[in-house]
Parts: sequence; C-alpha cells; structure tokens
Amino acid sequence: MAHTLQILILGLALGGVFALMGAGLSLVFGVMRIVNLAHPVMIIGGAYVAYWGFRLWGVDPLVTLPIAAVILAAVGVILYKVVFEKEAKAATYSEMTVLLTFAVAMIIEGALGTAFSNTQRVTSPDYATDAIFIGDIFIPTGQLYAGIVSLVIISGLALFLKYSRFGYAIRATTQNRDAASLLGVNVNLVSMVSFAIGVGLAGAAGALVSFVFSFFPAKHWEWIAILMSLVVLGGMGSILGTVVAAFLLSVIAAFVGAYVGATWSTMTFFLALFLILIVRPQGLFGDKPELA
Amino acid sequence: MTELLTVTGITAGYGDGPAILDGAHLTVEPGKVHCIIGPNGAGKSTLLKAICGMLKIRKGEVRFKGERLNGLRPDQIYRKGIVFVPQERALFPKMSVRENLRMGGFIMDDAHELDRRVEEVMERFPILKERAHQKAGTMSGGQQQTLAMARTMIIKPDIVMLDEPSLGLAPKIVKEMFEIMAMMAKDGITILLVEQNALMGLKHADWGVVLDLGRTLFEGPAAEVLGDPRIQELYLGGKRAA
Amino acid sequence: MASMDQSAVLEARRLYNARLALKADKTRAVWFPIAVLAVLLALPLLQLTSSNYNYVLHLVLYTASYVVMASGWNILGGFAGYISLGHNVFFAIGGYFAGMIYARYGVSTIILAPLAGLVAAVVGYVIGRITLKVRGPSFIISSLALVMIFRILFDNWDFVGGAAGVSLPAIDLPVKWAKVPYYYAFVVMAAVTVYATYRIKHSKFGLGLRAISKDEIKAESAGIDTRFYKTLAFAMSAFFVGMAGAVWGEYLTYIRPNIFLIILVSVNMVLMCILGGKGTIAGPVIGAILIVAFNEACVIFFGGSEINILATGLVMALALMFFPLGIIGSLARSGRLPRILNWD
Repeated sequence: MAHTLQILILGLALGGVFALMGAGLSLVFGVMRIVNLAHPVMIIGGAYVAYWGFRLWGVDPLVTLPIAAVILAAVGVILYKVVFEKEAKAATYSEMTVLLTFAVAMIIEGALGTAFSNTQRVTSPDYATDAIFIGDIFIPTGQLYAGIVSLVIISGLALFLKYSRFGYAIRATTQNRDAASLLGVNVNLVSMVSFAIGVGLAGAAGALVSFVFSFFPAKHWEWIAILMSLVVLGGMGSILGTVVAAFLLSVIAAFVGAYVGATWSTMTFFLALFLILIVRPQGLFGDKPELA
Repeated sequence: MTELLTVTGITAGYGDGPAILDGAHLTVEPGKVHCIIGPNGAGKSTLLKAICGMLKIRKGEVRFKGERLNGLRPDQIYRKGIVFVPQERALFPKMSVRENLRMGGFIMDDAHELDRRVEEVMERFPILKERAHQKAGTMSGGQQQTLAMARTMIIKPDIVMLDEPSLGLAPKIVKEMFEIMAMMAKDGITILLVEQNALMGLKHADWGVVLDLGRTLFEGPAAEVLGDPRIQELYLGGKRAA
Repeated sequence: MASMDQSAVLEARRLYNARLALKADKTRAVWFPIAVLAVLLALPLLQLTSSNYNYVLHLVLYTASYVVMASGWNILGGFAGYISLGHNVFFAIGGYFAGMIYARYGVSTIILAPLAGLVAAVVGYVIGRITLKVRGPSFIISSLALVMIFRILFDNWDFVGGAAGVSLPAIDLPVKWAKVPYYYAFVVMAAVTVYATYRIKHSKFGLGLRAISKDEIKAESAGIDTRFYKTLAFAMSAFFVGMAGAVWGEYLTYIRPNIFLIILVSVNMVLMCILGGKGTIAGPVIGAILIVAFNEACVIFFGGSEINILATGLVMALALMFFPLGIIGSLARSGRLPRILNWD
C-alpha cells in the first residue's frame, strides 16, 4: 500500500514537470497549427540558461526561471519573424512545416552542442537532492517544487487565456482563425505572441528541468515523442488536456517503471503516442472542429 | 445619392490561382438591401471575400466612404464597420452563445457597453437568450445562422455582407433568416446578400446585381432584374420560375 | 454545334499525345546514367595502380548506400506523399537480420541482402497497415515514435547484444581489396533501386501513388484502393532501405543501435530527397551526392559532429524555405533541366 502510494507520488511529481513542458507545445499547435518539433530543444535552451546562472553566479534556477522564459520568448519572436510567419498565415497542417521545425531543432541542437558540448549537465540547488518524509513515503523536494511552480505557471496561463482580452483573442483564433480575423482580431499578431509565449514556456520549463533531469543537447529527441504523447492524448491545442495527459501518463509510466523495469518506463509514452494516433486518427489531430 | 461602397473593376482569386473575379463592379447605396445573383462559380462569394480583405485584390479598387480599402486585413476592415458572415458562419464552436456574441464586440473598448449590447441582442432573439450558455458548435444549423446574423448587430455596423444565409436550411428556417435580414435593414444597416436562390433573394432586395464569369453583367432595381426576360432565362430558371 | 467531327478531335488528341511522348524521349538522355554506372563499375581497377584509393571507394560506396535508402524513401515520401522520419527502423531491421545470420552461420550479407529487404518489407507492410491510417503531421509523429520504440527494443534485446551490439567478422581480403565486394554490392543495389523507382513511377501503381499524394479522397473515389497502394509503397520503400542496412553492418564489422537507430540517418534520407527533388528519379541521387559531400566537408573543416548537425539543419531549413521543389523539381519547372538529369 505504502509502496503503491509512493509510486503514485513520484509519478505525479514527474507529471507536474511534463505538464509545463507540453503546455507551450499545445498552445502553439492550437493557434498556428504548427507541430513544433523544436519545442523540446528549446526547453534544453532554457535549462542551459538556468545551468549557467547557477554555475557562474550561484543563482537559484527558480530565480532564473523568468529570465529563461524571457530570453526564450525573444528567440521565439525572432524565429517567428524569420521562419514561421509565412507558415502561420497559411494556418493549415503541412508536412513541410513539421520538417521545418525539425530542421530548426537540429540547428539549435547543433548550436548548443557546439557551444556547451554534449556533456551531461544538471543544476544542483540544495532542494534538488533533498526529500520530505511523511511516514514511509518520501517526496523529492526538487520534483515537488518543480511540480508546484509548473502548476502555478499553467494556472496563470489558463487565467490569462480565459479572462484577458488578448487571451480571448488567442482562444478565438485557436477555434476558428478566419472567424477571429473577420471579427477584428489581428490573427498575425496573435500568432506571433502565442508563439513567443509557447517558446517562453519552454524556457520556463527548462529552468525546472535543469534540476529535475540531467540534460545535454541531444536529449531532446527522447522528449519529442514524450511531449507529443501528452499533447496528442490531451487533444491537440487543449492545454488542460495536455496537463491531464501529463499526470495520467507519468503515473502509468511510474508504475510500469516500478513493476516492469525502469527501461520500459519511457516506453509507456511512446506506445501511448503510437496507439492514440492509430486508434483515434481523425479525432485528435484531424481537421478543425467543424460547425454543423 | 451618395454611394457607401464602390467596387471598381476588381480582379481577384485564390492564392496564385486564376482570377475568379475579372473586372467586377458594384455600387452599394446606404440603407438598401443588395442581392448579388449568378450561377455557381460566377465569383459571388469571391467578391464578398475580396471586399472584406480575405482575398488580395490584384487590380481595381474598393472604396468605403471614399476611403480605399485595398490591402487592408479583415480585422482592419471590420473596424471600419463592414461585417462579413461567410457561408461557414464564422462561429467559435467551443465558445458559448454569449461568448460568441461578445466576440462580435471584441474591438469595443468599453466592456460595460459591450455587455449592454449583448443583452440587447439577446432580448431581440429569445432563442439565443435561452441558449446563452450552450456551446455554439452543438446548436442546429438554423440557430447557428441566427447567432451569426445576430452577432453582426453588436457593433452596429454600416454594412453587413451575408454569403448564402439560406444554405442547407429548411424552407421554414430560411424564411426566418430573411425576416432577420429585414429587421437588420429596418435598423438602417446596409445589406449585401449573395444568394444561390436568386428568385427568393431578389424578392427580398431593393437592388439586384447579376454577376457572371467574374464580371458584373447588370445592376439595377431588384424588380427590374426580376422582370428582365434575358435574366429570367439565363439565371432565374426560365419561365417556370417566373 | 452537334455536327462536330469527333474522329477529327480524337485524331488531333492522339497526335498531340504522340508529340508529347516524342518530346519527352528527346529531352531524356538514357546514355548518361548508363555511362555513369559503367565508370563506377570500372572504378575499383584503380586499386591495380600503386596508390590506394580506399577513401574514394568508401565515398562512392557510402553515397551509393544513401542513393538506395533515399530512393527507397522516395517511393513512400516522394510518390505517395507520406513523410516518414522513421525509416531508419528498416535500415536497422535489414542490418540486424543479415548481420545476425552472418555472425552465426557465416553467410555473406551481400547474398542475404534481398532476403533482409524482404523481411524489412514484411515488417514495413505490417507497420504501414497500422500507421498509414493517419496522414500529415500525425504520420510524421507516429514515425518518430516508431524510432523511439525500436531503439528501446534493440537497446534491451540481449539476443542481439543490447546497446553494445554485436561484432561481425571482417572479410578475409587484403586491405586494398577489402572494400571492393561491398563497393560492388552498393553500386549495383543503387542502380537497381534507381531503375526500380523509375519503373514504379511509370506504372499504374505509381500513377495511383501520385494521385494519393495530390488528393487522397479523390483518388479513392476514382476507384484506387488507396489503403493497399500506400501500404505496398511503404513495404517497397522498406525493402530497399532494409537491403542497404543488410550490407552496411558487415561493411562496418558491427551492428549496434546507435549506428542504425539514430535520427540523423532518417534525416539524411528525407533531406536528400527534398534537396534533390521529392518524387523525381534523379532527385535522391543528386541529393545523396550533395549531402555526403557536404557531410565530408563538414568533418574535414569543422571536425565535430555537433557542427555537422547544425549545418545539416541549416541546409534543410533553407531548402524547405526557398527550394521546396528541390534541385530537379525547380529546374524542371523552369524548363532548365539538363537532358542528362532528366531521368523521369
């Protein structure tokens, strides 16, 4: 019993981090219909910001988090202007756009690898290696903090989308881009800002990742499929769906890891992704929700 | 009489594709209901899309109250007071009826005024008030069309362009749509209607425009268009319809 | 109006078609690819001279292996329009199947290659049956998931040595001649693959694939069994990629997941086709030559593999943004394709 609860808690703690890692990906897909395969490598970019902040000046990754978010958001704006503006205007799913994000992922990976080498890195603030004990159960504080911060950020995002005027515009654009445009929403601006927010969220997630996982530039290939599984299971473009999927799959993965073997834990995400795509081919990715 | 909107010799098409509109003309006079008729592929919908900024105008120009609209984005044109209701109705399926109405006033800065107008519109359309919290995507076709048309009233626009509001609706519902249109016209809104059912469209209009092969063939009072034997033969289904 | 002479119209159409066919023949130079092949087949004779041309042989062999893979990928990605980033899975299947038999029973992978291709094709058929239900980005992502799944499977499969892989015995020939059997294997495979893609493109099957790539729903309503067509295309492309994998393992003298199941192998196939011209016959060949040369240059000038990834990504992004039809496609569209490169 205690063992089961322990596994559940570890799964949930991991889910919190994955939720933030997937949220930006989901947002960008919703608004722009772009599957951003470069999202995971941008998370690694954010992790490096936190890593160097910690290593050079001893700054806590949680303090660097907003800085990482802003730096990455700026990168997002530049990328949008240079690469994706034309794609965003087309606003249709396109194989070529997916390949383009793939190419961008390689460029960033190569740049990070050249600058920082492929050595495994991790930031180690005190709480990263600590744990809270409740009876037999332990909660790693690093993952706990990361999970809490992640949920706070996602809640903030949800409130922004639900209640602010710009959030309204983002939701409208996600649901029906043409309609939003016909009602006075500057959808190109919405795309750019959403992309910047999405990439900024990757930066924030990176700061959390920096003390939860060890990372190196090429690590993102593994995350692509993991994050995709969350976003696809959650229903592309639905941030709430992504969060729920993150917790669900992380808990399943934790149990698989405990009972089947650690190597098969990540397999959970890959198999889930594969199966969801096959079982609900049109539903989750398919066409825009049509009226009537 | 001064024109509200003039379209002079515009050419437009989709993407890099061929020109669907090829020198179309149009004069829109304030307060009137204009009906554009013509066969499939004549360029009727294309004309509305070019006016509202969804399609790039390759040649010619569109002027609204004397101001050139060429090159403006749809959102900028909406702010000028020209509303377009496309065939797909431009609703937000996952938003409630009320949220959809509020989106109609997205450009308004005064939130209280927006709320007031949303209430006002819902008073006029009891079905919308009844379903204020229902998601738009789950409503029937007729209700969706009602919502789309009612939403145009939020910003009290100058011109409302309707692209086949009767498409796919039962005859009884179609009648309701034309009643709503008449109500809008009574409010002083200028209407630009594209209608596949030419006969019915012209009966509800003051002014008729015949479009074919991307060009304006004929413009005149609706009654005149209805009465013209050549137009009857070619576009109104011959004697049977007359 | 009604008295229009039908037979005259038909005759005119027939003449027009004949003229088009004649023009196509005139713009094609069949002798060129044959001449290239002849030169390549004679190339190992250089080893009879006093110098060692192993590096040259390696480069040609390496390029030829990618010609096989990219042309194979082209059947699914170029003709049918289904972009797969997971085709290195079949490279691995071919490599492991032939490699294991070679390690246990000593049968040369060159002999085993067609069989290994067949195994890859069968696996491809089964996988295609499942994943080809989805299209567009979903298909791309499912192909990525496939790589991840196979990587974990091979990393943990003790029978094939897990992550450490299996060492294969090196061929018993003097250094100067050790590469030659593999050289011929790959050059012949490349020639066969290119010819096969040509035949496929010009068959009724190929026509069906192109219809699928343009508009799958229309293709289906035109009576094409799209499900069968695209699954068969998947299997065929897996066949060629698997064949290349079979011999590659023996050439390297080991099979290991991090040789076969790295994303860069898939990326190269895709990139070669896009750069050269997706859906054309010469495109993957030109793409393979350029990318292999580019990779070599990167290694020579920059050394590190990180720069190589960056540069590959950059080339891919630029090609996609400014050159989406690829070299052959762009030249053909503007009517400037030299006759010697018109293999379609």
